[in-house]
Amino acid sequence: MIAGEDILRSLMIRSQSGDKQAYAVLLGECQSWLKRYYRAKIAPDSIDDLVQEVLISLHRKRASYDISRPFLPWLAAIARFRWIDRLRQDYRSAAQSLSEDIPVDDHGHSVAARLGLDGLLAHLPRAQAEAIRLAKIEGYSISETGARTGQSDASVKVNIHRGLKKLAATLESE
Amino acid sequence: MSMKNDDFFLASLVDDLSPVRPLNARQGLLWPLAVAFVAIIAIMPLIGARADLIAGTPHPMFLLRSGILLLLGVVSAGAAASLASPSVGNVPSAWKMALAAACTFPISALVVSLTGGAIGLTERISDGLSCLSWSICVAAMISVPLVLFLRSGAPVQTNRAGLLVGLSGGALGAFTFNFHCPYNDIAYIGLWYSLAVGACAVVGRLVVPHLIKW
Repeated sequence: MIAGEDILRSLMIRSQSGDKQAYAVLLGECQSWLKRYYRAKIAPDSIDDLVQEVLISLHRKRASYDISRPFLPWLAAIARFRWIDRLRQDYRSAAQSLSEDIPVDDHGHSVAARLGLDGLLAHLPRAQAEAIRLAKIEGYSISETGARTGQSDASVKVNIHRGLKKLAATLESE
Repeated sequence: MSMKNDDFFLASLVDDLSPVRPLNARQGLLWPLAVAFVAIIAIMPLIGARADLIAGTPHPMFLLRSGILLLLGVVSAGAAASLASPSVGNVPSAWKMALAAACTFPISALVVSLTGGAIGLTERISDGLSCLSWSICVAAMISVPLVLFLRSGAPVQTNRAGLLVGLSGGALGAFTFNFHCPYNDIAYIGLWYSLAVGACAVVGRLVVPHLIKW
């Protein structure tokens, strides 16, 4: 059974006053909720790490929950914040690997796995989406991606860079 | 994460639980207002109050300016403080209305300047710079408790929070200087007060997000 807003809110209020039993139930419920929340957004092998990060944030920042407001939007805001944070970190490491002209196989997979949502790629121009899909999801090198898409190596890099930046901005503004 | 690790992780968080006092946005608002109040009190011995205030007959422009600046400062500080508690779909927007109301000053100043009504602005540059520097100094002091309050919370809209901290600091800083400032003409107010509030908003937007990251 999935706990509703009222139950979660009441558990959180009791947790803020130090009730460990209520807190244990709350964390379990939040863990399930977060797993469902991330399932449609990120690669399955990354879900557990991100859920842990959010639960740690919930623990550290539990005083920031305002008891006059609903609980789930509070949790969702933290979950979204941590997700975007992770996306930024991945984007930075991907950008670094591009600027150092290193083949992008390793970073590509993890970044793309997280970004790897067809719905998100649909926000991008075709050249950018293709470059990201091939180089980041399917693991082709820059030159292989260029050969497959008819783009020069420099264009592939620029398209990946711009595409990832646009994806991060799209996620942030949603 | 295996089921066993999962349980161990959750149990460690539960073990670490201690009671906390929930954040209250009103507390976040209280300290900046207290700092602004102290700055107003400090004006009297430091740089002196306006003559019309001392005489007990405040000029209408002083009252209008004070009202707009106080409104902008309080509403922006309240909006910034409310961002300490994360939420989806609960974006405070009253500050935008207050900002729009405050924009009547620079817009009026521009109109007056274009129609040749701005006289003597160049002779008062040093006074304008005093207004700017006092407002920025007080804004920095007002921003400290707001930033600390945001750090104790969990702001997820850090850029917006930074802008609002700067805006509220600038508006309240200018509000305090307003008790000294002897000028009542719209061109002076539109130029120097807008510069003070605008500069603080820009600095807040650029600097504060780095201070409230978590």
